[in-house]
Amino acid sequence: MSFRTNLLAAAAVALLLPGAAAMAQSIPIGHLNDFSGGTADVGTPYGQGVDDTIAWINKNGGVAGRQIAADAVDYSYQVPRAVALYKKWTGSEKVVAIMGWGTADTEALTSFVTKDQIPFLSGSYAGSLTDPTGKAPKAERATPYNFFYGPSYSDSARAMVQWAAEDWKKKGGQGKPKYVHMGANHPYPNAPKAAAEEYAKELGFEVLEPIQFALAPGDYTAQCLTLKQSGANYAYLGNTGGSNVSVLKACETAGVKVQFFGNVWGMDENAMKTAGTAANGVVFPVRTASVWTDDPPGMKLFRDISKISDPSGKAYRTVHYISGVCSMLYMKEAMDWAAANGGIAGPKIRDGFYAHKDWVPKGTEGVCKPSTWTPEDHRPTTQVELYQASVTGPTDGEVADLIQKGTLKLSKIATIDLPRKKEWLGY
Amino acid sequence: MATAIARPCGDFKTSYRSDQTIFPTIASRLFCLAGVVLLCAAPFLFSKYVLNLLIQIGYLGIAALGLNILVGFTGQISIGHSAFFGFGAFASAYFNNRFHIPVFFSIPLAGLAATAAGLIFGLPAARLKGLYLAIATLAAQYILQDFFARANWFSGGVAGTIAETFSIFGWQADGDERYFYVVLAYVVLMYVLAANLMRTRDGRALVAVRDHYLSAEMMGINLTKYRTMSFGISSFYAGIGGALYAHYLQYVSIEAFSILFSIQFLAMIIIGGLGSIMGTLMGTAFMVLLPEAMNGLAQMLSGSVIDKMLGLNEGVSFLREMAIGATIVLFLIFEPDGLAHRWQQIKAYWKLYPFSY
Amino acid sequence: MDTHLLLQLTINGLIVGALYGVVAMCFVLIYKASQVVNFAQGEFLLIGAWICWWLLTKYQLPFYAGFLITLAFMMVFGLVLQIVVLRPLIGEPVISVIMVTIGLSIFFQALMKWIFGVFAQPFPPVFTTKSVAVFGLEVQTVYVMSTVVSVLIMIGFAWFFKFSRMGLAMRATAFNQQVAQSLGISIRQVFALSWGISAVVSTVAGVVVGIVNGVSSALSFFGIKVFPAVILGGLDSIVGGVLGGLIIGLLENLAHFVDTQWLKWGNLYEVAPFYILIVILMIRPYGLFGTKDIERV
Repeated sequence: MSFRTNLLAAAAVALLLPGAAAMAQSIPIGHLNDFSGGTADVGTPYGQGVDDTIAWINKNGGVAGRQIAADAVDYSYQVPRAVALYKKWTGSEKVVAIMGWGTADTEALTSFVTKDQIPFLSGSYAGSLTDPTGKAPKAERATPYNFFYGPSYSDSARAMVQWAAEDWKKKGGQGKPKYVHMGANHPYPNAPKAAAEEYAKELGFEVLEPIQFALAPGDYTAQCLTLKQSGANYAYLGNTGGSNVSVLKACETAGVKVQFFGNVWGMDENAMKTAGTAANGVVFPVRTASVWTDDPPGMKLFRDISKISDPSGKAYRTVHYISGVCSMLYMKEAMDWAAANGGIAGPKIRDGFYAHKDWVPKGTEGVCKPSTWTPEDHRPTTQVELYQASVTGPTDGEVADLIQKGTLKLSKIATIDLPRKKEWLGY
Repeated sequence: MATAIARPCGDFKTSYRSDQTIFPTIASRLFCLAGVVLLCAAPFLFSKYVLNLLIQIGYLGIAALGLNILVGFTGQISIGHSAFFGFGAFASAYFNNRFHIPVFFSIPLAGLAATAAGLIFGLPAARLKGLYLAIATLAAQYILQDFFARANWFSGGVAGTIAETFSIFGWQADGDERYFYVVLAYVVLMYVLAANLMRTRDGRALVAVRDHYLSAEMMGINLTKYRTMSFGISSFYAGIGGALYAHYLQYVSIEAFSILFSIQFLAMIIIGGLGSIMGTLMGTAFMVLLPEAMNGLAQMLSGSVIDKMLGLNEGVSFLREMAIGATIVLFLIFEPDGLAHRWQQIKAYWKLYPFSY
Repeated sequence: MDTHLLLQLTINGLIVGALYGVVAMCFVLIYKASQVVNFAQGEFLLIGAWICWWLLTKYQLPFYAGFLITLAFMMVFGLVLQIVVLRPLIGEPVISVIMVTIGLSIFFQALMKWIFGVFAQPFPPVFTTKSVAVFGLEVQTVYVMSTVVSVLIMIGFAWFFKFSRMGLAMRATAFNQQVAQSLGISIRQVFALSWGISAVVSTVAGVVVGIVNGVSSALSFFGIKVFPAVILGGLDSIVGGVLGGLIIGLLENLAHFVDTQWLKWGNLYEVAPFYILIVILMIRPYGLFGTKDIERV
């Protein structure tokens, strides 16, 4: 070959090689987040946690030396947009995993991710996502590629019911305690209803008729009056933040004396601030073993990750941020395992989830809870941390200041260990 | 509101029958046929993402056409269209799951089921006019939504139902490439049916009811019959659109069929042009592509100079929503008759050039 | 039958209904004067609530000062909105204008989320006593204030439309625009003013709901809740709007009572207004107090 041909060939290789190398370097994943839609108040901290973790992973060596190329899109909780994004990700970009978000899009995409074999780690902890084989008696369908970090909604509700039973005995209550489920007739609030009511009956509660209230903030004095009249002792609030706050405030005004339970997405530091003293005493589950004000050894990693988007280090990170970070770190370690065992692809990442037992991502000791996924059981943990909210004064001001002043406080009151029952799988 | 075109010289009709054709000129007919043929080749040319958008435009376009028949051609207002869309979706899944009717048949059956529902809610239409009718349809929307949430036997309650894939004689239409043909076939069929309806006696009766119902009544057109029929037809289209949606996503959940969705349908036909069949498709394409375009723009802008200058960052997604709202507002201020009218103006400009006024 | 609970629910219904009535009045005002169906009514509540919250928290103003400044701002806002966006649409079909207000509502919702964030914010404590006992029901003080203000506004409106020059001009415009113009009434002023007043009165409702529930983007759903009230009372009757609001408020609570005591369906609170709406519309197509359209050939 002539000199010119050789030169051109060398130039072509020189131009393509970095490109090829760069392409070989990055791992494409999809990231659905909600920063502006109906669940933005909880989606923002969670999505921020995932984003910060991805940036931190890339800054610290990536996954097996490769950078994660995350396509993070705010889909505003609109399912058609999520489906369109999924088509884009599996069409041209060939993502190997997806960090998902809400119940609606997770349910809609389940059949697709199962067919395309793409692990989907959602922010939805619905019980229907926990059965990979679909064989459990109450399961709806097989969801082998759906994962989530944290106890399922049903298990969280069961844990609070168990705590309520112990609390009743401790308070010296006479007779059967009364339990009531409050929420909208909608997939999210209804997810744990059957499981919680069933467990409550088993533990000797008298289960009252559920009280419905809509998913939007409004006037719920009527519901509170009914609650008061029914004489319930423990009430589970199944909706998301805004409407739960409305109920708490209305019930505080109406003088209702009930122990309220929140749910994972329905009660957090921001909701406590909005509800003010009405949120005092509410018990709710937390997915991690600590919150931002605690200081176990693992919390240092979270503060480092937080500095990615908050260099001053002064921001207060809610429970959702911490859970988002844990979720992404689990995905990272699953991808690490896949890289070392055959290559980063969907089915291998799924195997990476199965490869660890009582798994805590490196550096997060004392924060992320030990989790185990198996091919028959996608419930990572059946141990639930219960915290109690304490609000002792007016809550106008930044959450960070209120926490510092002590007006807002989260204290751990129990760690409930539920038995990993096979009959409880899948719903 | 219906289209009046500038005929080129020499293009005249010599019989009533030729005057009533769906396509006024040979050129427009050829263009339409060529368009359909080109679309058949789409799955080989475009990515899954584009196919997904086209399929969305397809089933939403069918439902929007139904709404246009009701709003644009008959002059009623309906803000409950997404409930009938959802009814069709649930019905199709129900017929397929419970009675094991093949999907090929359950889609038209779902359309008929939606028609029945539409006829029930169309009865108040006989007595109500204007905004009162609009709010009655709003009530219908909420009542149907409530029904979906509580009727576990029909819709799976709040958990939603799983729908099967479409299959004829063993040819499974799973995957966007294959399902695209199913949707294309239905779009062509439904649009031809609607265009045909408009040139029959019933179609003219509907237009008469819209334009001046008192005169129409005096001419012997039974108002109640035609108004109710219009509701029924629009629900049929909505039901078919919903059924196609169900078998595409293979999962139907009540969360999707909210009042916002109904409002989106209204936006599609208004932006496309009330009373124009081609306009419906254009309006649907606009509404489906607008968020994607804004998304693309937002992604392009994020991290760029403009982003840093205006300090946008996370605000980009809000800007996207604001842009959608602003586009609708500005569009309606500057082109209230919709895209179809604007398209006619453009065509007329070129046809009459240089005497284009 | 638990009469105590029933009484409490009735009172609650009347109080909440008064609030619905206030928002319904604004809606009817705009429709009556300018023939526009304002789907963005909920956003007026939202904007008013956010502005008031911002003035109270950022500048630490006392409540009454912040509230009055908010009212002034909303008056200007309503005027400007009508002048800029709706004036070009005079003469267009009703449905186009409806769509424009829907587009506006999308725009403002996103704008508010951008400016003020997505987290619900509580109002700083405004009243020293948090609640007042009314016939045995503990009612939040702000609701008492809102009931008083609502009654005052209704009286004000009644006086305005019956006795003041501008009010008469508005009624004339609503009746027949051309005749009103020929009598020398400036239609544009009337339109603009009606939007301004509507924005101001909506703010009152918005601030009240904000104090009770915290300010968040969900406030705009109030606008949709108001539709049954408006239709029930008749689209172009202000008295009807008020009564419609009260009836809807009562209906919600009474339906809830019936539901919890006997039916046990669970969600009658939300859907009962719509069922009743359809029934009433079958009997009286123009609502309880709406003017029947007399059609002349």
